Amino acid sequence: MKLDRDEIKHAIRAKIIELAHALDMDASNITDTDIIPATGYVDSTAILELVVWFEKTYDFPLTQEEINIDNLGSIEVMAEFLLRRKGMIDDSRH
Amino acid sequence: MAIPVHVPRVNNNDDTVRVVELLCSEGQFVKSGQILGSVETDKAVVDVAADCDGHVLKVLQQPGATARVGSVLFWLGHAPDEMVPADLLPTASLADAFHKGRPTAKAQQMLEALGVDAAQVPATGERLTVADVEVWRAAGGQRIAMSVAAMPQAPETMPEVPGEAQDLNTEARGMLMTVKWHRDHAAHAYLEMEYDPKPWDDYAAAWARTHKMMLSPLMPLLAYRLVEVAVTMPRINATIVNDRLFQYHPVNLGFTVQAGATLYLTVLRDAQQMDAGRFIESMGTLQRNAMAHKLGANETSGATLAFSSMARWKVSRHIPILAPFTSLMVAHAAPRDTGRAVLGASYDHRLLSGFDVTQVLQTLIKPPA
Repeated sequence: MKLDRDEIKHAIRAKIIELAHALDMDASNITDTDIIPATGYVDSTAILELVVWFEKTYDFPLTQEEINIDNLGSIEVMAEFLLRRKGMIDDSRH
Repeated sequence: MAIPVHVPRVNNNDDTVRVVELLCSEGQFVKSGQILGSVETDKAVVDVAADCDGHVLKVLQQPGATARVGSVLFWLGHAPDEMVPADLLPTASLADAFHKGRPTAKAQQMLEALGVDAAQVPATGERLTVADVEVWRAAGGQRIAMSVAAMPQAPETMPEVPGEAQDLNTEARGMLMTVKWHRDHAAHAYLEMEYDPKPWDDYAAAWARTHKMMLSPLMPLLAYRLVEVAVTMPRINATIVNDRLFQYHPVNLGFTVQAGATLYLTVLRDAQQMDAGRFIESMGTLQRNAMAHKLGANETSGATLAFSSMARWKVSRHIPILAPFTSLMVAHAAPRDTGRAVLGASYDHRLLSGFDVTQVLQTLIKPPA
């Protein structure tokens, strides 16, 4: 499976907007670097749904310890963590 | 020596499960941990795995069949030609034997009013129900002076409006079973207490910062506090069976998880043995399993105490139905734009008084010092 950083971020953002919408929130302005739990767009249950979706979509099982701000705190960090763990870091972007 | 693989129990009130699929066949060699098939319960589809490496000697059920909990589903053997024990009939568990043919509370009430011994009335299902007594009574012409309104009408007549009967899905069946237990056994009561959520919010936020958590630990911390209360106040972790107190040894905390359209009562077993950190971590794993619809049998059964929250939906009040064989379910709510939160509790008044439950809630509304 080819993983493209921008596509990953686009998909994560779309999922957050979808989850926020279910809570009557508009998350369309969320940025790549916003700390997701601090935005107030999604609650804990929605974040959990995001994590489960992330694992399933990218065939990317996480341990409970890995579910933290350092690894999944923002859209950017989530994409970075996925690419790093999959050994697909695109160094030209950094 | 042949090794049995038994039909798992998933819910306290489900003595049978439906075989969904079989993923092995007789003669096949399977590895320990390999999924051999799955069974459908009231709450979930549960995989049945091999406990050891071996050859499948005998498959005793077919997809679609109803299998008794505790009966043998497969026989495994170290050699492909091992003999299977002659007695292949399903083996009833102790719980099955305990419940088999026993009247429900309503049926017992009716039998007592009739002055009839339960042994005189044949049961059509696992339990002797009011419907069974009604059918027996109708056949025998016996009449009782009893309030019909106090009894469920059975057998149900079909509505006059055209329509079609459809089978319930597993979740809906689970809810039906829960409601039936609630109706037939518990003496349901409810009370609630408003509180200022700020101390708890601050406590949870500090915990989240310290542990760099993605998810707010507020609900797990509240639930953990309930477990701590249960250790010091064992009566909330008990039930009534046959007019006797049944005191549970472990605290198995039931915790509702809404996963899409499915409502699970997930169960964290032996919670009294955990510290707060491990409890939060274990609950996180359980919630993820529920979200992915991958709960094991032990994760959906055996609750002795329960906690539920509908705070995310900003409801003002949330009166939960007691899970079977529990006496207390604490319900958390957070009415919109009030700055207040509510802790309510559904409880079985056969065992707990309003005073008891008030003591629990007064402890819960404050975070640990």
